[in-house]
Amino acid sequence: MDVNQYMGMFLEESREHLQALNRCLLDLENEPENLSLLDEIFRSAHTIKGMSATMGFTLVAELTHEMENVLDLLRKEQLKANEAILDILFQCVDTLEQLVEAIASEEEVSLDIKPLVGKLVQIAKGGPLPVEAKQVAVDKTEPLTSELQIDDTEAKAIQAANNQGLRAYEVQVALREGCLLKSARAYMVRNALEELGDVFKSVPSAEELEKENFGLTFSAIVLTDAEPQNLENCVMSISEVEAVTVLAMSEVGVSEEVKKTDVSDKTASAPEKATKQASDSAQPATDKKLKSGQSVRVDIDKLDSLLNLVGELVINKTRLEQIGLSHRLTDLVETIEQMDRVTTDLQSVVMKVRMVPVGQVFNRFPRMVRDLSRELNKEVNLIIQGEETELDRTVIDEIGDPLVHLLRNSIDHGVEHPADRQAKGKNPVGDIRLIARHEGNNVLIMVEDDGAGINPDIIKAKAVEKGLITQAEADKMDNAEAVRLVFLPGFSTAQTVTDVSGRGVGMDAVKTKIEALGGMVDVETKVNEGSKFKIKLPLTLAIIQALLVEVCKEIYAIPLGSIDSTINIKPSEIKTIQDQEVILLRGQIIPIVRLAKKLGAEELEGDNKEELFVVIVHMGEQKAGVIVDTLIGQQEIVIKSLGKLLAGIKVLAGATILGNGQVALILDVGTLMQ
Amino acid sequence: MSENYVSNGDNQLVVFKLGREDYGVSILQVQEIKRMLEIARVPHSPNYVKGVVNLRGNVLPVIDLKKRLGLAPGECTDDTRVIIVKVADIVVGIIVDAVSEVTSIDAGSIEPPQTIVNGVNAQYLSGVGKHDDRLLILLNLEAIVGIDLESGKIAN
Repeated sequence: MDVNQYMGMFLEESREHLQALNRCLLDLENEPENLSLLDEIFRSAHTIKGMSATMGFTLVAELTHEMENVLDLLRKEQLKANEAILDILFQCVDTLEQLVEAIASEEEVSLDIKPLVGKLVQIAKGGPLPVEAKQVAVDKTEPLTSELQIDDTEAKAIQAANNQGLRAYEVQVALREGCLLKSARAYMVRNALEELGDVFKSVPSAEELEKENFGLTFSAIVLTDAEPQNLENCVMSISEVEAVTVLAMSEVGVSEEVKKTDVSDKTASAPEKATKQASDSAQPATDKKLKSGQSVRVDIDKLDSLLNLVGELVINKTRLEQIGLSHRLTDLVETIEQMDRVTTDLQSVVMKVRMVPVGQVFNRFPRMVRDLSRELNKEVNLIIQGEETELDRTVIDEIGDPLVHLLRNSIDHGVEHPADRQAKGKNPVGDIRLIARHEGNNVLIMVEDDGAGINPDIIKAKAVEKGLITQAEADKMDNAEAVRLVFLPGFSTAQTVTDVSGRGVGMDAVKTKIEALGGMVDVETKVNEGSKFKIKLPLTLAIIQALLVEVCKEIYAIPLGSIDSTINIKPSEIKTIQDQEVILLRGQIIPIVRLAKKLGAEELEGDNKEELFVVIVHMGEQKAGVIVDTLIGQQEIVIKSLGKLLAGIKVLAGATILGNGQVALILDVGTLMQ
Repeated sequence: MSENYVSNGDNQLVVFKLGREDYGVSILQVQEIKRMLEIARVPHSPNYVKGVVNLRGNVLPVIDLKKRLGLAPGECTDDTRVIIVKVADIVVGIIVDAVSEVTSIDAGSIEPPQTIVNGVNAQYLSGVGKHDDRLLILLNLEAIVGIDLESGKIAN
């Protein structure tokens, strides 16, 4: 089988599952009893195992197989998840990531997974609860009655499932004589059953099945709400299955049901498990992602060419429209109008497709923060806000590294040790906030901590010491400037963080990268209270809501975020105070800006209008009223840069292309108000 | 004409008309030639920038070449074209009265420009070439677009 054509899919899906594993393990740390998390983790590991086995990547398959054993014990509650076990699992995920990346780059894999495998096996063996899940291979040929041994835990689980309306069935499968790939068939049967419910136990155990330590028959206990007939049909549809028998297991071995006190715990978690199974029988293992709903992977190049083609389509449509109008072909014009609606929608959808939620970059941070805070013995609570904020794909790729650096700094230098924090009267757990949002025509990303802050005097002293500034300059600086010295090249931190791995040390690297993206970075800090690093990125290809207005037959866009309201006034309402035109709005004096004049547009008529449209805009605390000819409407627009030639024009923040292909300029409210 | 079709790209020019004179730009800088497009005026832009246009989703500035070179303005006709050129990293359109041909010129036939040729300041020219009994005025696009080769752009 040529596996290369599946390589892309394998890599993408493996990476996705590894990310899910990371996420779930982190959640599990906080909720060690959450069985549904364990199920999800198990499923991800299981899927990776299946994929890697098919592709022939034995190291990955072996490691995930051992993980599965441990995970199975965990989810059956025969093992309790403690810190040591979680650490090992994290290590496994890391190793898997390394293996997958090695596969991706087609490097020789030289990782030794034996130590990890050894640890996993040990954990699997040392399960504290008395019941041993694995059973010795049973070589029966004709089991027709349920002779399976059910231990207490399993019985309880079946009971709980029954309470939820699910039933337990024993599915006995006999493979055809001369079946060659028994383990593969068994695996396929198990998979098929998993689609209908939860395969809770198998005889012989999964491991024995894989090693083909069985004859031609095996059984599995399935918890499901499907009909036995469905189960039977499902398994029979797999080739080389000779016979299937489905037996109900409603009251098998449920003698000592209510002995332990944590039964309530069991029934509480069983519903979670049950609902998970119910939803799973409808949809095979779907990962919960940032956005629910299905998605398709698309090559970026294809998106780009799609975008270009749509653009050309719009242009040609506009031309057709003009031809229709100039030759007065009403039929053509009508048809074009219909086409217009379609192309407009098409264009906006395609342009949105390139936007990617910033959460994609953010989602690897929780793990990183956890690891780093462990390493440095700090307690950190990472709060992420605004992950739905969208950025162009190219920016997303580049913004990751600077953010990593800022987060590291916050943990390393910002947040103090828990003891120090307590001494200062702070919560021993430090807060680090990662916030993303749109602001005007920019995307703002902030890394905020409530740690020690940056001491301007220390910074100044260090800068002088390193010869970056003179003492005289240092003395003249105010605190804000002093703190910005951290961005100077050559200003490296005192204690280097381990594992920098060639990312470029220093805030200087962060600043350079962000400026290369056309953005800026700044810092606000207060000693003992914390620091806030603000990154502002321009939206070169980002979508904002805007109000379209017309001034002297020209169309302009005003970002909605800057708009307070729109009002109609009579020309007589405009007063003059010291040569500045103003109006009185709800008791406030608001200066007036005549847009036509500001933009040097030719006024067509004089002020003969009875009514003036005024857009009340704000920048910070200040407001202004902008007089326009007409309000066209609110629309989502894609911001396009005006290019280097025209970038210097202050009053314009960019341009956008309207649905009809026309260019409309975007106004910079701040400049308008000056 | 066919003997003029030389494979050496360095000497191939796109020849166009401004008024009644022939001008040329290196073909390596020309991306495409389009008919007149709808131009949106850009307030506070340099006076030789007529505005911006939408080219397949990109917003490009368009330079009124006659204005830039200080020539007498003219009417827009059916022959008017916009030549999309790329200079350094900047893509702009330049408005010309008509595009005549693509031709090659012998490097030997090119002379450095004198101070003023046809009323056009020499800073915008890269040379004057003799071709088939005609004078081709070769344009220096960097200067026309206004690129300071060090910084990137100087606004006028």
